Amino acid sequence: MRPASSVPEPPQSNSLKGKRYVSWLTLSLMSFIALMILVGYEARWVYPEIRAYFSQTGNLTGQQLATRSRVYLQEVQTELLVSSPPAQDPPFLLTRLELAYGLFDVAVYRQTYSCVEPSLAQLDRLMSRLAQGEVDEVSAVRNLLAPIQCLTMIEMSQSDLRGEAINEFADDTRRHQVVLTFASLVIFLLGLVFWWRHECQLRRTRRATLQTLEWMEHAMRDPLTGVGNRSALHQDVLAADKQSHGLLLVDIDYFKQYNDTLGHPRGDEMLCRLSALIDEALNHEASLYRLGGDEFAALLPCGNRKELAHYCEGVIERVHQVAFEHPAHPDQKPVTLSLGAVCFVAGDTDFSLVYEAADKALYHVKASGRDGWKMADCKSCTSRSVCGAKGSSERRILARDLGKKALEERT
Amino acid sequence: MNERAAGRRAFSWCKAFTMWRLHCFILALLACSSAALANSQAITLINGQKSIELSVAELRKSASLEFSLYDPYQAADVEMRGIPFRDFLIEHFGSVPSALYFTAWDDYAVSLSGWDDPDWILVTHENNQPLTLRGRGPLRLVERDYADRDTENLREFNDWLWMIRSIEAKW
Repeated sequence: MRPASSVPEPPQSNSLKGKRYVSWLTLSLMSFIALMILVGYEARWVYPEIRAYFSQTGNLTGQQLATRSRVYLQEVQTELLVSSPPAQDPPFLLTRLELAYGLFDVAVYRQTYSCVEPSLAQLDRLMSRLAQGEVDEVSAVRNLLAPIQCLTMIEMSQSDLRGEAINEFADDTRRHQVVLTFASLVIFLLGLVFWWRHECQLRRTRRATLQTLEWMEHAMRDPLTGVGNRSALHQDVLAADKQSHGLLLVDIDYFKQYNDTLGHPRGDEMLCRLSALIDEALNHEASLYRLGGDEFAALLPCGNRKELAHYCEGVIERVHQVAFEHPAHPDQKPVTLSLGAVCFVAGDTDFSLVYEAADKALYHVKASGRDGWKMADCKSCTSRSVCGAKGSSERRILARDLGKKALEERT
Repeated sequence: MNERAAGRRAFSWCKAFTMWRLHCFILALLACSSAALANSQAITLINGQKSIELSVAELRKSASLEFSLYDPYQAADVEMRGIPFRDFLIEHFGSVPSALYFTAWDDYAVSLSGWDDPDWILVTHENNQPLTLRGRGPLRLVERDYADRDTENLREFNDWLWMIRSIEAKW
């Protein structure tokens, strides 16, 4: 009998276990999701910064406004000094000055650099004078020097600022990288720990399931002979497909006397030998069960009564051939068996009635002097209505007894 | 003395030549400036093989949308007047092209998409004054609602377009 502690845990405990198992798994998954979010967030942080500092070519502020303004002013200078007369097509002197002014006149330059206001004023004056033709080339070129100098200074200063910003960004990036590395590592380790916990839980659950299955296997098996017990018989009958089967009930004749004479250990030994012998006689095609004491049952696929009769005869003959010694047999015979058999279709027939029919056949053999077999006519048990009309109360009692015995076997 | 006289003559020739160059230059300058200003007073719209020029003066006349905007390049609130750019595109191209290729008077060129947006305004006036090249005009594209962008960071406004010279539809 299985000790009380080895009885499977109640359903409530199982459900709690299940919840805990889900929690570890959830925590683990959440850790990995958090890791992905962290990586995504950091990438999202870095990308716009990179775009701002390193991908500025081809847009409005890709090149410094000061640089573009200076280039226009220098173009004007060159045109004034080199061309004679100055180029007329395309017309660009005043246009270039206007463009230079527009690119120069930016609030951030005005606010940051003191040379901007005077330079713009100078450009303004120069444009007015040029428009009115009141200035010569040399004077015009000279007047452009201060604004160009201012713009050059702005360019250098802005480049320094840009460099500082890039350095700051690089420092930030390094800091973020360190944070990202450590945070990722911590979250990853947490995820691994949770996963490990989940695996442990899974293994415990699997082990418990295996133990339960093992226990169920034991519960269905006769510990002495290793064949199935009464519960297993009912289980197998319930699980059998709707085909013709044969049920053999086997009883050892005068087994009590055998035990009394040779002792229970020898009796147990005989039970084991006989179970192996019956299995062999049935060509290992039958499932064997020990129903209790010296009573065995065999369940096997069987097409018809003739085939079943052949099996019964085979078992009796095999026992006769082996001729186990039985010192206390009243008829001075070796060990003999009494068999009751019945052919039935699983699922179509109430098994309690099948069992009852086989049992009656067995007792008929017992009453007729033992050492033989008899096959019950199961016509009465194939029809539920007939059987029910004939002996419903008897069937209920038998069913109750079978259930009780099964329970006893299990515990 | 003769040398000195010859020197003076040479100097006066040189001066005369310089004056002639200056006059030529001023005349050329006036011609250039008037041509440049004349050129910057028009915008070219290109749609496939078809190309039209629109007068900036006409656009200024038709600009009726007025609004106030913080211009990050001027660091000040500015009264602007202009034309909803989406309406402008529909009027001249039939519908909003999937992308537009812009060129500016400062030779800046860029192709941008996503113009089916009522926030973009083709600005013609600033503080009741028509935009000129020196004011980053005469036509400028600005976005009325720049949401949560940092106005201190000009890099976030580098999709504004200044001094627009031509617009080509890319379908």
